[in-house]
Amino acid sequence: MQQVLEGSHAVSEAVRLARVQVISAYPITPQTHIMERLSEYCADGNMGARFLRVESEHSALAALIGASTSGVRTFTATSSQGLALMHELLHWASGARLPIVMAEVNRAMAPGWNIWADQTDSLAQRDTGWIQLYCEEGQEVLDTTIQSYRLAESVNLPVMVILDAFFLSHTFEPVDVPEQESVDRFLPPYQPKFQLDPENPCAFNQLAPPDVYMEMRYNIQSAMDYALDRFEEVEEEYFSIFGRRYQAVEPVQCEDAEIILVTSGTVTSTSRQVLADLRARGEKVGLLKVKLFRPFPVSLIRRLVSPASKVAVIDRNFSFGASGIFAQEVRAALCNLPGHPPVFGYVAGLGGRDVTTAIIEDIYWRTKNAGIPEQESFWVGISEVSHAIGHC
Amino acid sequence: MTLRQTAVNCPPLIIPCSRFTTESNKTGSWRFLRPRYENKTAPCSSACPAGEDIPRIEMLVAQGLFKEAWETVLMENPFPGVCGRVCYHPCEQVCNRREFDEPVAIRTVERFLADTATRNGLQPDIKRLNAKQQKIAIVGSGPSGLALAYFLARLGYESEIFEAMPEPGGVLRWGLPTYRLPVAILKADIARILELGVHIHCNKTITPRFLDEVTGHYDAVFLGCGHSHSLPLKIPGEDLDGVEDGLRFLQKLRQGKEVVLNGTAAVIGGGNTAIDVARSAARLGAKPLVIYRRRQQDMPAFDDEVTMALEEGAEIWELRTPVKIAAVEKDYVLTLQQMEVIGEDARGRARIRVQLNKTEEISVQHLFVAIGASSAEQWYKPPPKKSSTMRLSNCSILPRSQGPTVVFGGDLVADIKSVVHAIASGKQAAMALDNLFQNGFDAIRAGIEPNLVGDGPSLSMENYLGWPRTQSSRSVVHHEDLNTDYFRFAPRIIQPRLLREERLRSFAEIDLKIGTILGIREAERCFNCGICNQCDNCRLFCPEIAVVRDDTTQNRRINYDYCKGCGLCVVECPRSAMTLEEECLCNRY
Repeated sequence: MQQVLEGSHAVSEAVRLARVQVISAYPITPQTHIMERLSEYCADGNMGARFLRVESEHSALAALIGASTSGVRTFTATSSQGLALMHELLHWASGARLPIVMAEVNRAMAPGWNIWADQTDSLAQRDTGWIQLYCEEGQEVLDTTIQSYRLAESVNLPVMVILDAFFLSHTFEPVDVPEQESVDRFLPPYQPKFQLDPENPCAFNQLAPPDVYMEMRYNIQSAMDYALDRFEEVEEEYFSIFGRRYQAVEPVQCEDAEIILVTSGTVTSTSRQVLADLRARGEKVGLLKVKLFRPFPVSLIRRLVSPASKVAVIDRNFSFGASGIFAQEVRAALCNLPGHPPVFGYVAGLGGRDVTTAIIEDIYWRTKNAGIPEQESFWVGISEVSHAIGHC
Repeated sequence: MTLRQTAVNCPPLIIPCSRFTTESNKTGSWRFLRPRYENKTAPCSSACPAGEDIPRIEMLVAQGLFKEAWETVLMENPFPGVCGRVCYHPCEQVCNRREFDEPVAIRTVERFLADTATRNGLQPDIKRLNAKQQKIAIVGSGPSGLALAYFLARLGYESEIFEAMPEPGGVLRWGLPTYRLPVAILKADIARILELGVHIHCNKTITPRFLDEVTGHYDAVFLGCGHSHSLPLKIPGEDLDGVEDGLRFLQKLRQGKEVVLNGTAAVIGGGNTAIDVARSAARLGAKPLVIYRRRQQDMPAFDDEVTMALEEGAEIWELRTPVKIAAVEKDYVLTLQQMEVIGEDARGRARIRVQLNKTEEISVQHLFVAIGASSAEQWYKPPPKKSSTMRLSNCSILPRSQGPTVVFGGDLVADIKSVVHAIASGKQAAMALDNLFQNGFDAIRAGIEPNLVGDGPSLSMENYLGWPRTQSSRSVVHHEDLNTDYFRFAPRIIQPRLLREERLRSFAEIDLKIGTILGIREAERCFNCGICNQCDNCRLFCPEIAVVRDDTTQNRRINYDYCKGCGLCVVECPRSAMTLEEECLCNRY
């Protein structure tokens, strides 16, 4: 049924439809609406889940690790500082191979306090063994959340469904909310491959000495590799029921493009407009939306961008001392490909600053007019700061 | 350890999984702190002159075990009906709940227990020790004498009481108005004492020759004759006809004499007797006027009583003292000297002096004097301190080379003259005499000292008899020792009372009974400081599952093979019934 839904509530609806059994979270802007709606569902009996109130994000994920180990479907949501507080348990959840699903609303890290969109929080957790899926709009958020349970439970790795603060979490859009029956068909009840069972007691995740630890880590990487294939299969099955699919990496008019813009999240929507405008003016530009960031779809990206003469990556994030993180990943994916196109890195929209059509078009022209990248990252729209302290 | 491999549509899943027991890992060897169960003393118990085990009483009431709760009161105090009504409840002043919301209404619960026992005709199981040879004579059947007889009976001693008045009870019978203490309540508490075989001779006034007369018949004599002699004002006109002594007036009322008053009844004094007289006068038709030389807040009368007197129409004139009484026709003209405050003493009472040339006159229709009392006979008083008398906190013992040992108790020796202090006096005297008879005079102090409740000076008879309370430690639980996260705010019960208009119509008891549900609800407010009420937090929180249920009195024990000494159990114990100590290395090596 078509509804006008806030991005946050698209997540909530998906969690309800996924028949999640245990929910735990600690409130943080801009994640709050997701949990408010879910707590109402639990309180009103519209969901059969146990809603655990806790005193911190650390405890929220710890609670879910326990719940998931006992063999139930779980959900949490957080943002920014909250995600950072979860850090050690992010490693634990993936190492323990628990298919926990989390909605992570991209928000800038403090200080200075900033509640607006910025991908640095989730990208800082890229090495924790979680699958990361970046969404562009409300419908995608809903569909991706439901799909995430299939993906997580089949590869035994946790999944982060990531959406931009406010641009997506607080924007109302028409969203098709599927029938419970159809979702049940796509997503049967969770069948854990292992679980705590008082009838058959055992201990999980005790000491792993050097002779096995490395194999365990290799095993997680194998599961990540497998998740790349599995993602496509899950999308295929979802498509067959609901008629929607997003792809790990979505190319838009890349076949004949000379310059390909690489984007993620809501910047992609704005870029689609810029693409149409430039194409209308005869510019040979393409767009590549990266949805699946972990595992990173290296071969797909190589195949899709190698025909172009230049690649421009737009990053709403930054790794201090290095460069924008998507740009890093794209460079790394291409570097062993002989004759690959040069990669231009652009940093824009940090801390919720608007990435307008003008900015994206500027990025295109800068890329087109440059011979080779003169720096790893070009910060778009930086203004002169006259006071060292006390600006703002 | 095994690596568990499962292949379902994905690469084999490798996670550490063990089915070996972890019991071989004796985590107790890591311990350097050691938790243990230790019941402690609640501040209320320590503050109760009778040393009642209040947290246990409240716990038993909350569990609906009313008989057991009542018997726990009787273990330390033979007067639950009386104290549940007239005790000035120092326990509630120090209740830890005071720092949380409001103190538990301990006195109300005690009265609830007494009422419940009466309604259900309960008979207490009062354990008694084997009979002893010695006999004790008790002079005066007030609360101290009766308490002594009760505790002596439980220790196996025979005693006889000599009472000057026609009925036992002393100040409880003749000095307290019935709106505070109905006579049937007093009689029920006394009857339970007499059932233990205590004999009372009423209408038997004792003379100074008594001590010699009883030589050979009794091994000790207890003097608990109280303060029945009112102090004089020492001013002109005091001897005028109709200027009444407050204590005599109250006694007259308790004897059933009909009195009608009108106009203004002035009462000189600020103690409980003065307030009792004023409130009684109000019931008899007069407008009471209490005249006190210090400020209202300095009055020795209990606050509750003063408040209710004001509600009932009494007026208090503070900082005035009478200097002359004159009779003018049927009235008395009272000359009052005004006083002024010149500072405060260590206890916060006003220091006062005369305001020169400031006097006033007032005409009143009745005049009562209640400025204090002392013993009726000089020989009732304990000898001065320098004599061979052993002065204990609530009684004095005079050994005599010939004739029975004399013990002075009750109001004769009390710093604070209250019913519950009189009971404490009787209890201390019983312990002292038992030690005297069994181990000699010099053993008395050492024999009593181990039975102090908390930091004293209250004593526990249960402890003296070596029953379960012995296992509690004397350290007192403070508010910061509790984990109040486990307690909810709950308002203190509001004692139901007769309306003001109803009170003034008769001498009917003012405080009304409360029902079972209210009684339990109030008892449930108790934190049960320092005693285990089986909440099971220690077991639920133990990360090593080292708290094991068993059938000991504690119902659980700590398995020190696995207890790491993390202290979670102690922190999560809401009521400080556990203690964490540094591990003694000798326990381990």
